[in-house]
Amino acid sequence: MSAATARPRSDPFAALRGVKPRPRPRELGLLVLVAVVLVAGSVSLGLYRTHRLDPADGGVVVSYLIALGIGHFAQVLAGRRTDQVLLPAMGLLGGIGLLVMIRLPQELVQQSFGGTTLGLAQAQLAWLVLAIVVASVLAIIVRNDSWLRLYKYTWAAAGIALLLATFVLGRDRNGATLDIHLGPISGQPSELLKVILVVFLAAYLSENRPLLVEQYTRLGPFRLPPLPYLIPMVAMWALALLIVVVQRDLGAALLFFAVFLLLLYVATGRATYVVLGLAAFVVGSFLAYKLFGVVRERVDIWLDPWSVAQGAGYQVVQALYAFGRGGILGTGLGAGLPTIGGNLPIPEVNTDFVFAALGEELGLVGVLAVLGLYLVIVERGLRIAAAAADDFRALLATGLTLVVGVQAFVIAAGNLKLIPLTGITLPFVSYGGSSLLANALVVGLLLALSDRGVEAPPPPRPPGGRLARLVDRGAR
Amino acid sequence: MDGFLLSLWIARLAFLGLLYLFLFAVVRVLLRDLRSAAREPGSELGRLVVVASPEGEPPPGAVFPLDAVTTLGRDVNNTVVIDDAFASAQHAALTFRGRAWYLEDRGSTNGTYVNGSLIEDIAPLGFGDEIQVGRVRLRLERPRS
Amino acid sequence: MTDWGGQRAPLGRNVLRVGLVLVLAFVVLAGGDGYWQVMQAQPLSAAPDNPAIIAAARQVVRGRILDRDGKVLASNAIDAAGQTYRVYADPSLSGVLGYASLLYGTAGLERAFDAQLTGIRSADPVADMLRKFQASPYDPSDLTLSLSLPLQERATALLGKDRGAVVMLDPSTGHILAMASTPTFDASAIADPATAKAAWAALQADPGKPLLDRAVQGLYVPGSVFKIVTALAALGSGAIAPSTTFPQQPAAETNGLIVSGYKVVDGHHPFTDGEALDFVHAVEVSCNIYFALTGLKLGGAGLSAEAEQLGFGAPIPFDLPTAASQITNGGGNIGGGFKDDVELANAAYGQAEVLVTPLQMALVAAAVANGGQLMRPELVTGLTDRSGTVHRIDPQSWRDVVAPDVADTVKAAMEQAVESEWGSYFTPGAKVPGIPTAGKTGTAQLGGSGEPNSWFIGFAPVDQPKVAIAVVVEHGGGGGARAAPMAGQLMTYYLKELAQ
Repeated sequence: MSAATARPRSDPFAALRGVKPRPRPRELGLLVLVAVVLVAGSVSLGLYRTHRLDPADGGVVVSYLIALGIGHFAQVLAGRRTDQVLLPAMGLLGGIGLLVMIRLPQELVQQSFGGTTLGLAQAQLAWLVLAIVVASVLAIIVRNDSWLRLYKYTWAAAGIALLLATFVLGRDRNGATLDIHLGPISGQPSELLKVILVVFLAAYLSENRPLLVEQYTRLGPFRLPPLPYLIPMVAMWALALLIVVVQRDLGAALLFFAVFLLLLYVATGRATYVVLGLAAFVVGSFLAYKLFGVVRERVDIWLDPWSVAQGAGYQVVQALYAFGRGGILGTGLGAGLPTIGGNLPIPEVNTDFVFAALGEELGLVGVLAVLGLYLVIVERGLRIAAAAADDFRALLATGLTLVVGVQAFVIAAGNLKLIPLTGITLPFVSYGGSSLLANALVVGLLLALSDRGVEAPPPPRPPGGRLARLVDRGAR
Repeated sequence: MDGFLLSLWIARLAFLGLLYLFLFAVVRVLLRDLRSAAREPGSELGRLVVVASPEGEPPPGAVFPLDAVTTLGRDVNNTVVIDDAFASAQHAALTFRGRAWYLEDRGSTNGTYVNGSLIEDIAPLGFGDEIQVGRVRLRLERPRS
Repeated sequence: MTDWGGQRAPLGRNVLRVGLVLVLAFVVLAGGDGYWQVMQAQPLSAAPDNPAIIAAARQVVRGRILDRDGKVLASNAIDAAGQTYRVYADPSLSGVLGYASLLYGTAGLERAFDAQLTGIRSADPVADMLRKFQASPYDPSDLTLSLSLPLQERATALLGKDRGAVVMLDPSTGHILAMASTPTFDASAIADPATAKAAWAALQADPGKPLLDRAVQGLYVPGSVFKIVTALAALGSGAIAPSTTFPQQPAAETNGLIVSGYKVVDGHHPFTDGEALDFVHAVEVSCNIYFALTGLKLGGAGLSAEAEQLGFGAPIPFDLPTAASQITNGGGNIGGGFKDDVELANAAYGQAEVLVTPLQMALVAAAVANGGQLMRPELVTGLTDRSGTVHRIDPQSWRDVVAPDVADTVKAAMEQAVESEWGSYFTPGAKVPGIPTAGKTGTAQLGGSGEPNSWFIGFAPVDQPKVAIAVVVEHGGGGGARAAPMAGQLMTYYLKELAQ
């Protein structure tokens, strides 16, 4: 279906002919501020390193800012009335991540593209530029959501295929199967899977929402949710457990289940389901703790990392030391993370523990700002959801927002020893192509959904079966 | 404290301070948005209520919030799908132009009616008017405040 | 009428609620971050395995450690490779200072004050925060101790080849004057990269366990020195008065005291000749029967409560890690965790399951000497940073353990135990010539056939005590044989030659 069908005249070029550039002053203003912040950060890092007013890796920072600017002008040219805060907020988080990558030893990552080998910062820059492209393109071309809405089972199948591919082709990293490698391409499928999952859940829940009116599944004395809710609930629970069992990827399992429960609550407004889901979560966690060594180990480390400070709890303890060294104002960019014999104290500091690095070098003050940026994205996403034209769009926007917010919470809380550590990335900040691209998908879709002038959603379908009769009676 | 340390101080605090300047600017945008959203009660321009629908698609009683352009017809790509044997695929279009509503017949086989009378090509419309597409009757209502 | 469009309204409300949940979650994150970055920042930054500390140890020239008169106890030398390493003034300091080695880490004060010596943490939290703005966040401090190097050397020399410990402190300030533990080890040899490996291997193989700081970590049966604890408890609670006598005591001297079918024997002071002893005499001749009866009258709970006040039952807060002294293994049903009256009666005169550190017994003597007010024991009295700014650590009162009149009663009895005719029979050599001296010996029976551990605790001068002491010599024989004369010599040396 083309975007033109929404217009009264059936002119295939109407969509293009109707395009008028529309200035985006707020976005531009915020992006200018982003540029100022990042240049200041680069200067701060360069000053510490060279003792001169010499921005560190100025070329990388400027390239990134140019990419953001191009993204902005593409939006201006497209002329859509989309959100003007999301791109700068994502841009600043990505930029802070880029500064951290510039600051870390470049040998942490050696990414080969063709003949050239990119270090950590350059590779991250490449991924960030790609992420901006993905977000911008989605924000410009997606005017119609039926390709998401109507093919939900196709998406579900694709997700399951992706999961199976991970089971089969996955490679182990730190005891968890997170990466798949297909020839030269490698990635973390769970990042893409989370977006697919949200699309499916939004479609499924919005379609079945009317059934909530008056339906229960009776099981003895219990009034359980109607089957259309119960089945995905059990399926999701089983899926999360499966991910834990087969991939030992606790982070993805926790993220999926939490997003599912919250989305279920938004769709139904029933706290009962959340309580039921939490009960299932407790049971599942208990089973996992009893049955699987990896879960038990994580929980034991969480309870007392110092007892294994030189072994399994090393990273967690080192992360806490990093927070402690940072204090209120931080050590400043470049001045933290003391190396011993040339080694960084925290392995995986560019991915799972980037939050600890932020804590050390930017301090409590900087961490609060970063948390604030995530809340800004959450606010925008949920506002887009609340203003959405129909249930599917509302649930989709909510789900996409939750994916980012919950993921940031899970990894930050893991770093801070508030919950057991799970290996997922800090959205937009951590190093990694899969993570950046998946989160760019999220932002791109949210931007597209935020356009008020977009094609109206299809009308709600009539409910079938008992409910239709109920509605008929009510209408008379 | 020497000049280098002083400038390092300033650079570090400037970075943190600018982060908050950004947050402050964003929050101002958010607040302005919230205020303007509070002023506009809703984005819908009007509502279309299904009065009668013998074949149940759309169901009687259903309410469609209206944007500036709403197409009606049997084809699933219409904004409001009228699944009625007497409706054409591209039956009619409801448009809001400036201050008034207009109903336009898009060359349907059985014609489009306003308050029971057949319209030719295009006709102005007011809130409370009833339109008929095929055997389906719908009423244009004021947007909900 | 069913309003399909209207379904969106409640959904918006749910979205808002979910948003609030997320905001709450992020507030929790902020709280957690504040906890680690503000409240826990100091202890985390000072943890010995914090990479910042380890890196600092490799780069930074550690601060020196000085004694009370400014004599250098620990300083730095540079090896051929340009690496600095630690040099210690005397092996007698090994227990207190420990060592700082690139190969084997840190121990003793070098470990406890690693953060300050390397400069990752200063005594002033505000300066500490501001220091984060400096390019090189290291500002090593010198430590000044209350220790006196000559006294420390003398104490170690007197212990000689015996294993044991001496703790001397100023009862009015809690400042540790000497804290010897034998056998000692050569910490300089561990710190010097050239000799570290061989010295370390020899140390690990030594059956005398020189790395154990006996003064704070050694747990010993106290024997009769523990009677002072029982006395403080019993007099303080009113279970006995100074005039209290036990009519059954004289006969028990010859026949033994039957407690629940078990016989407590004594009979080491035949010259008291059937006299029922009062409190002062019982201390003077160290009468086991009297204190067993006192313990039974007092009850386990009363003994336990007073012992806890004195520091038993938990590690003593101190600049070095300490072992917890105990009066019983616990778990028993009669008060204070004692199993039965037999255990209580034996514990009351320092046998049964009573185990103490020399530091703990020195604190008991200090509490009596200071009129019932126990000062917090302290080794480090000041930190001097590179700019020369001195941060003094002032003496702190820890607890008021008994009323001043009770302390005076016990003080008088301990004075008699050294000065009187009967007392001096048991405490030969403990008296400081020309200065009124108080004390109590202990002879801790260890079971088996070996010589008992020799104990002495005391203080001088009696009126205005300037020094309190605890001495233990493993297998040194009776308290009068080794510990009492050593204590006398050390107090004399300190009061006559050092204190002025």
